[in-house]
Amino acid sequence: MTEPTHAPLHTVARGRARWHRVIVRPVLQRRARVAPAAQAIAFVIGIVLALIAGAMLLWGSGNDPVAVYERMAESSLGGFDALSRTLLRATPLAIAGLAVAVAGSMGLWNIGAEGQMMAGATVAAGFAMVAGDLPGPVLIVLMLVAGAVGGVVLVVGPALARAYLGVSEIITTLMLVEVAIRIVEWLKVGPWKDPESFGFAQISPLPDQASLPGLFGQVHIGVLFAAALLLAFWLAVSRTAWGYELRMAGSSPATARYAGISLQRKVLTALLLSGGLAGLAGAIELTGTATRLEPGLSSGYGFAGIIVAALALMRPSGVAVVAFVFGAVLRGGQSIQTLGVTSSIATILQAMILIGALVAAVLLNYRVRWVRPVGSGTDADATENPASAGASGV
Amino acid sequence: MSEDAVIGLLVATVQFATLVYLAGLGELIAERSGVLNLGVEGMMAMGAVTGFMAAIATGRPWVGFAVAALVGMATAGVHAVVSVIMGAGQVVSGLAITIGGLGFAAFIGQDAVRERADAVFTDLGIIGLADIPWAGPILFDQPPVVYLAGVLGVAAWFVLSRTRLGLALRAVGESASTTDSVGHSVTLLRTSAVLVGGAFAGAAGSFLSLYMAAGWTEGLIAGRGWIAVALVIFGAWRPGRLAAGSLLFGFTLALQPRVQTFDLTIFGLEVNTISPALLGILPFLLTVVVLIAISFRARHRPSPAPAALTLPYRREER
Amino acid sequence: MSDPGDAAVSPGSGDGRVVVDLRGIRKEFPGVVACDDANLTVRAGTIHALLGENGAGKTSLVNVLGGVYLPDDGEIWVHGRQRQFHSPADAIAAGIGMVHQEFRLVPTLTVFENVVLGSAPRYLDMGQIIERVAHLAATYSLQTDPSRPVWQLSVGERQRVEILKALWRDADVLVLDEPTAVLTPAEAADLGLTLRSMADRGRSVIYISHKLDEVLSVCDEATVLRNGVTVAQPRSLAGIDRSDLAEMMVGEAAAEIQRPTDQPSGDVVLALEGVSALSDRGLPALHSVDIDVRAGEIVGVAGVSGNGQRELAEAIAGLRPTTAGTMQLEEADITGASPRARSRAGLAYVPEDRLGVGLAPTMSVVDNAVVRSYRSMRRRMMLDLRRCEDFCRRLVERFGVQVGRVHEPVSALSGGNLQRLLLGRELTGEPKVLVAAQPTRGLDVAGIAAIQSQIVAQRAAGVGVLLISEDLDELLALSDRLIVMYEGEVAARMDPTQVTRAEVGAAMAGTAQA
Repeated sequence: MTEPTHAPLHTVARGRARWHRVIVRPVLQRRARVAPAAQAIAFVIGIVLALIAGAMLLWGSGNDPVAVYERMAESSLGGFDALSRTLLRATPLAIAGLAVAVAGSMGLWNIGAEGQMMAGATVAAGFAMVAGDLPGPVLIVLMLVAGAVGGVVLVVGPALARAYLGVSEIITTLMLVEVAIRIVEWLKVGPWKDPESFGFAQISPLPDQASLPGLFGQVHIGVLFAAALLLAFWLAVSRTAWGYELRMAGSSPATARYAGISLQRKVLTALLLSGGLAGLAGAIELTGTATRLEPGLSSGYGFAGIIVAALALMRPSGVAVVAFVFGAVLRGGQSIQTLGVTSSIATILQAMILIGALVAAVLLNYRVRWVRPVGSGTDADATENPASAGASGV
Repeated sequence: MSEDAVIGLLVATVQFATLVYLAGLGELIAERSGVLNLGVEGMMAMGAVTGFMAAIATGRPWVGFAVAALVGMATAGVHAVVSVIMGAGQVVSGLAITIGGLGFAAFIGQDAVRERADAVFTDLGIIGLADIPWAGPILFDQPPVVYLAGVLGVAAWFVLSRTRLGLALRAVGESASTTDSVGHSVTLLRTSAVLVGGAFAGAAGSFLSLYMAAGWTEGLIAGRGWIAVALVIFGAWRPGRLAAGSLLFGFTLALQPRVQTFDLTIFGLEVNTISPALLGILPFLLTVVVLIAISFRARHRPSPAPAALTLPYRREER
Repeated sequence: MSDPGDAAVSPGSGDGRVVVDLRGIRKEFPGVVACDDANLTVRAGTIHALLGENGAGKTSLVNVLGGVYLPDDGEIWVHGRQRQFHSPADAIAAGIGMVHQEFRLVPTLTVFENVVLGSAPRYLDMGQIIERVAHLAATYSLQTDPSRPVWQLSVGERQRVEILKALWRDADVLVLDEPTAVLTPAEAADLGLTLRSMADRGRSVIYISHKLDEVLSVCDEATVLRNGVTVAQPRSLAGIDRSDLAEMMVGEAAAEIQRPTDQPSGDVVLALEGVSALSDRGLPALHSVDIDVRAGEIVGVAGVSGNGQRELAEAIAGLRPTTAGTMQLEEADITGASPRARSRAGLAYVPEDRLGVGLAPTMSVVDNAVVRSYRSMRRRMMLDLRRCEDFCRRLVERFGVQVGRVHEPVSALSGGNLQRLLLGRELTGEPKVLVAAQPTRGLDVAGIAAIQSQIVAQRAAGVGVLLISEDLDELLALSDRLIVMYEGEVAARMDPTQVTRAEVGAAMAGTAQA
């Protein structure tokens, strides 16, 4: 490299370009037609892989995987009470997953559902503080509305920035998660600190009438809201002109523009609706399971909702199924603490289901083709061309 | 307020800056190659717990540090396989790393929670310099990881801007197809960048468990991984600006537990009335502001964000 | 042969050594044969023109040479050795440098970083590399500042960086795909000088162009492709003029399409007056275009691609803002109207880019069928799915779209069926004007016939049709009047029953006297 003038460098490239001729290498090729049930199969494969990996983990840490899994299944699916506990956890997962799916069906990522849940719960709790004298049903309905408003408030900035400035919503929504959680922490030690809690700072409890009525077992009527919202979303996306425009804008912006659909307005409504739903999930969680607002209230449901929506391919029916499975995993994870096993096995299983399903989906959508080197290892450029050789000799 | 309190604040600023800088530098390397890894929080947790356990087992903090880097790398390897090799979505894959990593760390660290750390990093106390007033304790009496982070920062800058590898890495983050067309392997470049990023995050996590907290608990990372993600944007994807940003973010982190003890009034504002929690919001809000500022500036010149960030690449096979 | 000193002064003589020899190349894409027995022989020290109409297979052939496509049949010989290129990197290693129409540059990197990317030394000694790049640039009079970021450069400068990239890799064969399409005349002249200085130093250039004047002034030898087959390989361009080249490119007419019967045309339904518009790059692409289309006639628009036809179609559809002029659809002024308002006023549009602008690939056949009409299929907020489906089924039946299930994504359909669906969708609702851009491109024989008969049927039904096509046979057979576009202007207006293919070809090449 000391020559001041230009030296031939392609010899370097020649050496490096050759390796793949010698090795038989795998190449992923997109399948022309994907089986309609591919994603369902991938999800099942993901569950199986996660259970196998989880079993190895349990076994490695000195637990009996069979006993642990038995307890998990028994406590989450075995009977009325167990199912009610699973549904209790599936409810916020489904609504948060739905929130992510609303944005996702337009190709947008609302990574901040966790924060919007907190914002929703916060505004709902704040409303209960100022209007704590209202009768139960009125108060609860207004708290749920307040929750949706809270979610919208947190997402309105990222939504405007995305629609009108093109700022990626992925990072902006994510950043506001931490903002929302810290605001609740500040409320806890500051303005909303319960005067009756002395050494231990916590937010004042909700009025008694501000808790969602129970349905059966542990589950509250929030699960009905979740089901109704899933149904409404399914109807809206697949049956209304609005949903048609939403899908069109996500699938082909240019075609949508040709059809006279305003992309900016669609981005804005999709993200605001997404934030509102997440906020509602927060308010439902607050009124359904909590006695007071706490920084850990959403406890990862918002982030898990992203995984739920991704596994469901943004479809409402899928959200319902995946949320139920994840709810069961969460409930099961909690139940095994009595066996001396940490509940963190539940989050590990969730992550592994997702990773297994992602990989399985790629392998189902693509075909692995093994490419052999052409000319079976002999360097193709070794053949001499007598005609040209003759010509060059002239 | 006392001189000691200010020095203590600045000493902690340097340490927090080191923490987020190490993790942020790893994320920067991955993002410059075009891969967003939202798994920093999980990789840090994995590094923190394994590094802590390895240090206890061997009695050597450096072994813990190395193990943490390797484990961080292995954790990032999952992201590399799923998002780079398989080409699945980077956003969900990264989130799975965070969720799974936090869970996994909690699982394997159950017993480590009760351990007391005796094998932790100690302050280096550079002879002759450590005794200088102010500068001594702040700059010359820090644990070795602080200086290592500085060296790694310079090394990362050098590799990115002055070597063939760095050029290829920057190019692949801007346009994978162009980089492919000149003979570089997109998969190899991106996988290596993600792995290196994981090693940095894992090492950063162990700095937390082997020095700053000197122990492991669930929730030890406490959002510092997200701060690292924010820092990369705040630092406009450049190692130098990342260092400046890490000092600012580090300052807010160091100030949080101390702010209410400072008896000081600045522009009529009594400092000790500032809420630590609200202070913690600052890095995230600043990052959003920076993102919006970038989008305004991007009307006249290209955005500093790698153009191919989050876009998977698969060569059209014939 | 000739003495080496001679080669340096007399352009194009070279030493006769064959550098690149492509023999009997065949490359087939689903439904289209791009190259079929294509040959190309390039000698050292020459600038070799590769000529042919659009779709003749020029770009496919050079992509085979550049390692982008693997040929289905045929041999690639470079420097007297047979080669197999599995990737562009292989071709680069063999000394082939490609300059594609779309540049492969990283905008945020500097000129020198782009030049050395992929074959840089391990350590980037900035000063030294900048100096070497500058030296290389000066050698071939390629004006550029090595340390400027590429995004600041003009298109012409970016092209020079692409050429530098090839030279840095010591490419002795440089392939340029329509290099002057994006250049100003002055830049094009500079490029000619650069290429000549490369040839003088013993390198070879393969020069793809439609601009016959340019080819005659720049190139030494030529290869002419027609329908993927090499039809002529003049060793010298000395005694050849433009019309000879045009004739070689266009060949004899092989029209088998039934001309529609004569019919009186009606009132003007689409009137463009002085319409101008910019290209995606923000450069003028349409200059003051006047076009009238009457009811019941087909106005054909011919032209080499990139001469403003795409912008014309988009401007009429309302997808590209105009910078001057007016547009009228019957009585209505549609100059600033939205695409939807135009479609309601009776405009049907078949875009060139079917799966980008016309159809949403991941959505179902039904969803795509109702893009224009879903608003009329609402019952309150709900979409009447049964009506949508009925509408779709009628459309599918009437236009012979072969679909499996109407609820499967359109991306599963073949090109011909996509086009039938798109055309059918646009034609329901009885439009008054149909603008069809490249409606038969990429289709098989049956598909072409079906689309063409639909267009003729529309004419018979009194629709005014503007047919933009690169298939000259199609235009000559179907059009009542023919317009030739060149550099964004209407270069000629012809009567398709009176002109020869050669005359149209000459007008397309910008050499018409009309």
